[in-house]
Amino acid sequence: MKKWQVAVVLCLAAIGSWFGLTAHAQAAEYTIATDTTFAPFEFQVKGGQYKGIDIDLLKAIAKKEHFTYQLKALSFNAAVQQLSANQVDGVIAGMNITPAREVTFDFSKPYYTSGVVMAVAKDSTVKNFNDLKGKTVALKTGTAGAAYGKSIQNKYGFKIKYFNDSNTMYNDVKVGNSSACFEDYPVMSYGIKNGIPLKIISKQHNAGDYGFAVKKGKNAALLKKFNAGLAAIKADGTYQKIINKYLHSKESKITGETASSRTFFGLFSQNLGTLGKGLWMTIELTVISIILATLLGLLLGVLGVMPGKIGPAISSTIIYIFRGMPLMVLAFFIYIGIPDLIGHGFKIPAFIAGMITLMLNEGAYTGAFVKGGFQAVDAGQMEAARSLGLPYWKAMRKVVMPQGIRIMIPSFINQFIITLKDTSILSVIGIVELTQTGTLIIARNFEGFKIWLMIAIIYLIIITLLTWLSNWVQRRIN
Amino acid sequence: MADTAIKVHVQDLHKSYGNTEVLKGLNLDVKNNEVVCMIGPSGSGKSTFLRCLTDLEVPSKGQIVINGYDLSDAKTNIDLVRENIGMVFQHFNLFPNMNVLQNITLAPIQLKKMTPAKAEKTARDLLDQVGLADKATALPTALSGGQQQRVAIARALAMHPKIMLFDEPTSALDPEMVGDVLDVMKQLARDGMTMIVVTHEMGFAKEVADRVVFMADGLIRESGAPKDIFEHPQNPRLQDFLNKVINV
Ligand SMILES: Nc1ncnc2c1ncn2[C@@H]1O[C@H](COP(=O)(O)OP(=O)(O)OP(=O)(O)O)[C@@H](O)[C@H]1O
Ligand SMILES: [Mg+2]
Repeated sequence: MKKWQVAVVLCLAAIGSWFGLTAHAQAAEYTIATDTTFAPFEFQVKGGQYKGIDIDLLKAIAKKEHFTYQLKALSFNAAVQQLSANQVDGVIAGMNITPAREVTFDFSKPYYTSGVVMAVAKDSTVKNFNDLKGKTVALKTGTAGAAYGKSIQNKYGFKIKYFNDSNTMYNDVKVGNSSACFEDYPVMSYGIKNGIPLKIISKQHNAGDYGFAVKKGKNAALLKKFNAGLAAIKADGTYQKIINKYLHSKESKITGETASSRTFFGLFSQNLGTLGKGLWMTIELTVISIILATLLGLLLGVLGVMPGKIGPAISSTIIYIFRGMPLMVLAFFIYIGIPDLIGHGFKIPAFIAGMITLMLNEGAYTGAFVKGGFQAVDAGQMEAARSLGLPYWKAMRKVVMPQGIRIMIPSFINQFIITLKDTSILSVIGIVELTQTGTLIIARNFEGFKIWLMIAIIYLIIITLLTWLSNWVQRRIN
Repeated sequence: MADTAIKVHVQDLHKSYGNTEVLKGLNLDVKNNEVVCMIGPSGSGKSTFLRCLTDLEVPSKGQIVINGYDLSDAKTNIDLVRENIGMVFQHFNLFPNMNVLQNITLAPIQLKKMTPAKAEKTARDLLDQVGLADKATALPTALSGGQQQRVAIARALAMHPKIMLFDEPTSALDPEMVGDVLDVMKQLARDGMTMIVVTHEMGFAKEVADRVVFMADGLIRESGAPKDIFEHPQNPRLQDFLNKVINV
């Protein structure tokens, strides 16, 4: 009784303090979303900061026009979806101005013009579009490259594979799973200059304009400021300085990395702070979600074995829905779907959405085994307790639940480990936990093997610790 | 007068599971201080009858009044009714997550708002009474079947019930252990407890019962003093039943 009360209080305190933090952070006038990896337009540098043409332009424009904003780095797809759902005020993410997008968004004046090129592995035999017949082409969803690739697919007879971020796409081409990718020229050429082992083998096609977007009919004021600021920084030379800085220099100058820091331990110590932050987010999410999911699971389990039909029906329905839904779908539904449905600028912070997602999904699994555990307790126990005159709930709490929970302990430990691993899926809604941290680090240094190895080891270490802790608790209880 | 007051009044009791009728219009009155032993072949509905008395099964039809409470009355608080009935099961149903004392004191502390110290004192007296004073802190799993059943009886007695119901309390026991449990029950009977005992222990019925009722196929077929039932059975099914029991 006392122990779970403490847990609830801790949990509420954690949620409360988090709300406090977000409230503080949202003091900025606008929330502007960007992509996570689209160098040189946006990418993360040492210490978790974002840099790039888009980022610097936005900063310079905001300074000129005196507005404040909070930057939110998501995948390109999530950024666009959030803009349509009114979750953010604007998106600057190397986005092409297209007629289709102009239906739902209002765009600024173009701030950059680029074309699409094809890139292949350095030792590839593919020389032109004709060589792609029957092969696989990697595309990044929502980009001009993807639109162009799709438009010539039938003509050249290749298969398409979609990715959510550029680096995974490059890597797929590098290791030979895909034969080529289509990418915006500045992005591709910048990446190659900074160590991506691909080569560009086509000229620029379908030149298009990049624009800053707001939702159609909303935020006209922000758009006006952006346009005015853009004109001003073009006039005073700031614009050109920014472009030159990114297009004509090596990344190492910007990120401050040295060649000697490319060993496993070099990379580790260099990214220690960023990894630590990601790990902390993972732990925070895991602990809060485990507590909430356990409470929900117990509730569902108790409902599931209640006499009568209503309790069990509610319990099985909830378990059915949330156990059946893939975690990622649920995360998108809560983070993007629900605000979209409610409208009126309603927003759910990503952390809260992630927490609710895990609570519902893990809670449903927990509910299923809690129910099973209660059912595994001999029916004679409940009858004996009731025969003494104990009311149902008292009999449940004093006699059936303690026995059932003992049966469930191994399932609980298992579920805690699953919850920890499932937090990684929440990277899709832009929560920078351990997995997303890895993606972001690799986005700027392309050290896929070493960084993923690092991340895998960190997960194994905390899972081992969690297992030890659980076993210790189990021994204490028995 | 109190001695002859009716403690249990059962009238036209029916119980069906789906299309099978298990109790077919049973009538029985039990007086204060009376010990009624119920015998009959397996499947005749004895357990079902006892379970109806504590509302563990809900009758399909008929009336049950126990300790003055009418069970078919929606206003009757069933938990209160049960506090005044001691139920002893064939398989003891002790709580394995609690030690002997905790098993016995749970209900008095939770329901009678007894202080733990006072409840423990009562529990130790009861353990003394059933001959298990030295097992107070043992876990049920560490006890023999006979010891567990005596703890179960002590647990029921801790609520100071006005009537005790026993459903084959010794049939899951090693024959070695049966005597200890029956001794406790005999003492209870001598102390004037009203009891309904479903049993296959004919010796016990002969010795302790004020009345023996024979059940077969959902109805009471014969009822009378032990002497009459065992020595001059009238109903052919009873004669048949007794022959089988004795020849075993
Ligand atoms: N929950 C139930 N659902 C369906 N049928 C049941 C249920 N409980 C009991 N029965 C049936 O009711 C009949 C009477 O059962 P009951 O347990 O009352 O018999 P009994 O006289 O106690 O027998 P025994 O001496 O074997 O304990 C049996 O045929 C049994 O199969
Ligand atoms: Mg029976």
